[in-house]
Amino acid sequence: MRWLHACVLAAAAAAGLAYAGHLNSYWMHVAIIAMFYAILTASWSLLAGYTGLFSLSHMAFASVGGYTSALLVLWYGIPIPLGMAAGIAMCCAVGGIIGWVCLRMSGPYLAIFTLAFSEIVRITFSTEDQVTAGMAGLHVPALLQSTSRLPYIYVAFGLLAVSLAIMAVMVHSRWGLFFRAIREDEQAAAACGVRVAHFRILAFAVASGFAGLAGGFYAHYIGVLTPSLGSLDLMAIVVVMTVLGGMESLPTAVGGAITVEVLQELLRAYGQWRLVLLGILLLLTMRFARNGLLTPIWQHLVRLGDVPTAPPATRDVGQEGSRV
Amino acid sequence: MTHDGTIVRGETLRKRFGGITAVDTVDVSVAEGDLIGLIGPNGSGKTTLINVLTGHLLPDAGGVFLRGRRVNGLAAHGFAARGVARTFQLTQLFSRMTVLENMLVPGLTRPGSTRAAATKQARTYLEFLNLAHLEHLRAKNLSGGQQKLLELGRALMLEPTILFLDEPFAGVHPHLRDELIKRIQELHHSGRTFVVVDHDMESILRIARRLVVMARGRKIADGLPAAVRADQTVLAAYSGLA
Repeated sequence: MRWLHACVLAAAAAAGLAYAGHLNSYWMHVAIIAMFYAILTASWSLLAGYTGLFSLSHMAFASVGGYTSALLVLWYGIPIPLGMAAGIAMCCAVGGIIGWVCLRMSGPYLAIFTLAFSEIVRITFSTEDQVTAGMAGLHVPALLQSTSRLPYIYVAFGLLAVSLAIMAVMVHSRWGLFFRAIREDEQAAAACGVRVAHFRILAFAVASGFAGLAGGFYAHYIGVLTPSLGSLDLMAIVVVMTVLGGMESLPTAVGGAITVEVLQELLRAYGQWRLVLLGILLLLTMRFARNGLLTPIWQHLVRLGDVPTAPPATRDVGQEGSRV
Repeated sequence: MTHDGTIVRGETLRKRFGGITAVDTVDVSVAEGDLIGLIGPNGSGKTTLINVLTGHLLPDAGGVFLRGRRVNGLAAHGFAARGVARTFQLTQLFSRMTVLENMLVPGLTRPGSTRAAATKQARTYLEFLNLAHLEHLRAKNLSGGQQKLLELGRALMLEPTILFLDEPFAGVHPHLRDELIKRIQELHHSGRTFVVVDHDMESILRIARRLVVMARGRKIADGLPAAVRADQTVLAAYSGLA
């Protein structure tokens, strides 16, 4: 069955949605936050996993998206969806500029640059408390007038589904191929005719836009926005989630977000030790399953439904080498 | 500017790295249908010259011309779009992508290309290079020689008018080297222009119609292989006397 993996995902999503109504308010909140993180991990996977741009400013963009939407709604009384759209646009623009500024950077240099940008954003939001209310928290109008969290689950699911659909179309198009070529070797990609600068900026802008969407939703769901949304602690959680799941594919990145978020709640009784456990899990992943813990499962699922269009190479590579 | 069949021309090119002049006032031109062997001792500036002529390095002085038009500052992807393809001294494949995906990257950068058409074209070239049965394998899993072939195939996907091959025979098994030479000759007969850099004089002399020799960043000879081989300056350069 060609689309087995997609069918399994759709069935899991449908089952999750059907069961959502039976969750208590606490677990509904966990599910909503897991989907918030899932948008962030998927978009960070697009940037770091597919394109190889290890940015540490993703949560800063979530913060920019959240504050842009919140302040526009508070100041001008515009509808919340419009505010969220403005937040996305702002993040795309700033993300594009950051992508352009660090065109010649990669690896640790890019990570340090984006880390510095992230801290600048956080400290600015924290310091400008006359505008942002600083660490006291900005009170933000709620997205829905509902006492139940169930409608928020549907909204979060809708946003996640649409985000994943857009990102999936991108990564399966020629753009996705170019992103991966840039990740593998920028010089060779340029020699192949890939406009490397253009696609690096595009990856930054798109990924930042999705971070802005997640930030906007978070602001109008939680109702109080503080600069800590853009903190390095939360960035580290996004990195851990994505890496544990598998950063080179969208479903594994999403799976990582959901798994880690649920694990954090299940292990809450252990207090801070649960973070140590997650750290150890990350170490083991890096040592024994660098592609992520969910990647082998996902690849197996994809292979199960794969109908090869041409005979796969089953012969031993060594034999092939000797043949020629 | 007119160009009388010249595809690529470098005019008084100079490129320095720190205190080293890697390319020193070099004039070189490649005409349509040429098959040029670019040779010289290690560190003579061959790869730097190719990097300058394909947009991967900006010359410090001098000009690069494509069909008579000055293109200094044009990015490498711009050269590729104008039919200039290249391979690298150390094979630079997209190692975690499959053989077919490696081929599709350049194929899909061409204006108006579709995935179906690019896939068909890629399979034709893979067949030509005896790599068709490996299309689902990751590039990093190929043997060194197969990787060289794939890099050639990837360059061909641009449907280039000129190909710069940087050390295509380095570290390649003799059987595969013969196959590579055969493929280059077939492509040359079908109208493609080549500049081949290599240390393997035997291979270069088997294919080159013209030899350009570099030593210490300068062009010291340019002509028919027989004449260049008899050139005392060239012999001195190779024996370390130049």
